[in-house]
Amino acid sequence: MSTVDYTREISVIEGQPPLREIDEVISKPLETKPDKKFYMAISVTLTMLLIGGIALGLSFYYGTGLWGNNNPVGWGLPIVNFVFWVGIGHAGTLISAILFLFRQKWRTGIARFAEGMTIFAVMTAGIFPLIHVGRPWLAGYLIPYPNQHSLWVNFTSPLLWDVFAVSTYFAVSFIFWYVGLIPDFAALRERTTNKIKKVIYSIGSLGWRNSNRHWQHYEMVYLILAGFATPLVLSVHTIVSFDFAISILPGWHTTIFPPYFVAGAVFSGFAMVQNVLIFIRKIFNYEHIITLKTLENMNKIILLTGSMVGYAYAMEFFIAWYSGVQPEQFTFLNRAFGPYAWAYWIMVSCNVISPQLFWFKKIRTTIPVMFVIAVFVNVGMWFERFVIVVTSLSRDYLPSSWAYFTPTLTDFGILIGSFGLFFTLLLIFTKTLPVVSIAEVKAVVDGSQPSHKDH
Amino acid sequence: MSNENSTLYSKKNLPGNFAKIGQMLLAVGLILVVLAYFVDHTRSAFNNLILLMFLTSIGVGSLFLVAMEYLGGAVWSTPFRRITEFFAAVILVIPLAAIPIYFNLHDLFHWTHAEAVAEDKILAGKSSYLNETFFIIRIVFFIAVWFLFYFLIIKNSKKQDSSGDPKLTTRNIKLSAVFIPIFGLTITFASIDWVMSLEPHWFSTIFGVYFFSGTILAALAFTTFIVVYMNEKGLLIKGIKKDHYYSLGAYLFAFINFWAYIAFSQYMLIWYANLPEETFWFLQRWEGGWMYISIALIIIHFVVPYFGLLSQPSKMNPKRLMFMSIWILFAHIIDLYWLIMPTYSKDSVPLGWIELAFPILAIGAVITVFSIKAKKENHVPIGDPKLKRGLDFRL
Repeated sequence: MSTVDYTREISVIEGQPPLREIDEVISKPLETKPDKKFYMAISVTLTMLLIGGIALGLSFYYGTGLWGNNNPVGWGLPIVNFVFWVGIGHAGTLISAILFLFRQKWRTGIARFAEGMTIFAVMTAGIFPLIHVGRPWLAGYLIPYPNQHSLWVNFTSPLLWDVFAVSTYFAVSFIFWYVGLIPDFAALRERTTNKIKKVIYSIGSLGWRNSNRHWQHYEMVYLILAGFATPLVLSVHTIVSFDFAISILPGWHTTIFPPYFVAGAVFSGFAMVQNVLIFIRKIFNYEHIITLKTLENMNKIILLTGSMVGYAYAMEFFIAWYSGVQPEQFTFLNRAFGPYAWAYWIMVSCNVISPQLFWFKKIRTTIPVMFVIAVFVNVGMWFERFVIVVTSLSRDYLPSSWAYFTPTLTDFGILIGSFGLFFTLLLIFTKTLPVVSIAEVKAVVDGSQPSHKDH
Repeated sequence: MSNENSTLYSKKNLPGNFAKIGQMLLAVGLILVVLAYFVDHTRSAFNNLILLMFLTSIGVGSLFLVAMEYLGGAVWSTPFRRITEFFAAVILVIPLAAIPIYFNLHDLFHWTHAEAVAEDKILAGKSSYLNETFFIIRIVFFIAVWFLFYFLIIKNSKKQDSSGDPKLTTRNIKLSAVFIPIFGLTITFASIDWVMSLEPHWFSTIFGVYFFSGTILAALAFTTFIVVYMNEKGLLIKGIKKDHYYSLGAYLFAFINFWAYIAFSQYMLIWYANLPEETFWFLQRWEGGWMYISIALIIIHFVVPYFGLLSQPSKMNPKRLMFMSIWILFAHIIDLYWLIMPTYSKDSVPLGWIELAFPILAIGAVITVFSIKAKKENHVPIGDPKLKRGLDFRL
């Protein structure tokens, strides 16, 4: 048994670096020209984006018949992808807002980056419902406003609640992210020698002068925004789960859906953040800021939320049997042993079994292993949405209309494109804004906190 | 380490009337409960179920809070973890509340009637899970598991008082990691067995989570009340301040919201889908006067504590915290009443002295268990390596 020193707090930032060095390290990627690796990476992501663009262009030209969507599986991959990407976004808000309210200092190094991912993931997600309506140029009608046709949106539809929930979530996340950036803009403004950059940073910093009063207001706003973002993040995926759960379709209508979807979203989001951060900390030399301990903590959250998701799967199965309702029982047996059994078992092994390996400290702290597990988690969570959307629809109440859903190449093209968009935005982010909060990191370096001890 | 802390701490006894109030409530409750069983057997059995669920909430919920502190590596709650441990000892009296249930299974659970099951296809389908033998096995198993982890975890914590060995903390972290998933499953199936199966046709996948949220809230309310009460009287240890109060208040506030979120999710989805095999459960809680209890539940369990603990100063105000803790315990009893009693009486709300007798016994039992433990043991885990950090805790 190892002896851990419980009397001392573990430092969030390793090695007590001088504050000046933190400025240098974090702003370095912004002050240097992109290197070869960056161009290689962005060429890959842009190619992916291009594939998506072509697939989408073809869909606009020839129509949505290019997709696999058909009766009875009318929702198909676009909705699978939508739920997947909205879910990815959740980790960002959890890290930046909820862990902030919990006063978890280890969040500091990763919060900015995760918030950025939230914004990009929600942007990516937003594309799918728009294209899925078939005529995206009419999407404006989703916004309720008094009009000459006396035409109103269907307020009782959770699809409309989605419009409100996701757009509110995006707006608040963006403001939260920007507010956090203000002191950093000021720091960059002081550092830069480039005139154009100076103007941009000056505008971004809103006249920040690091005065006591500024900090006081900043802390207050940040706390309030965190308080706003916390219920919002829960509401978004709750409403996404309502899209399914308020219907009467077996496999969709089950009361555990809201908390189960939220746990699943945080689960996949953390896996994605962990995957990307492993590269970022290595390439930008942030290993002392985003420490192994931080990654371990993230893996613990992946384990926790993964277990919650496993609990929900088990509960659904048990209650389907316990309910004595025949369509319910059939749906779950069909999931596990029907034509989509392959997808179901990919989901179970990736989501329930693989994160359980994080019980072992050795695995939690070995970077290549945790990377692979987090990739599995992302794959598993995509398949979870696939299983939910497709299996329930493909075999609904009317056996005569049952059909097997097969996604087409165009479907996959758009999926690849969504990854392309997300990672392209992420790469641009790494070279334009500080991916780690300079101001916040300085506050958690050992020795920078005011001492509370009574001397 | 332990020497340094033991100079900070000297044990101060609870005021004498504290134990006396507990014993008095216990005695009065016991007499009333015995009387109640003579007067109305079935009605008492249902109330007994409320008693059982309440003691489970406090005992098992408190053990969960202790385990969470270990597993999460929290330090703010270390100075008063022992208080929560005392409440976890309520686990030891759960069997006493469970035994009367065993003798009244037929009055409580419709599915125990063989002739009813024979006529009902759905109940027959469930009979491999809902049958008396397996039901009893499960009760014994749940309680045995809770006993086991209670003894294992508390023993290490107590041993640390004298030895101050950090290895005991490591051991408890490992035990907690095992306990928490087991807790999740046992509390879920206990709530399905003891409450959901009262209406054996009804089902809801979120039910375990719903009960869990109330459990933690009730356990936390007891801890909050006692910690604030003892600390205000200077009976704990020097160093517990507003920062700790705030954290307790925030913890309560979070679970008030969590409960409301889960309760709303369950109601909303069933109401919207409007399937008769699910809605009848909520209809039962709307007709025959139950509407008033349902509305009161929303106000008592959510609206009042939400606004009562929303603002920052209110989470640090000792009077507010103590009041809200008692309020939340009351709300939890109402919640259990709302869950259990409509099965007993569909067309009227039974409110009489019998409904008072069992909560009196419940509160009396918890206070008595607490005061016995508090008399024997240190009120603060003085050997815990995290204690100093816990006392230094600032927001």
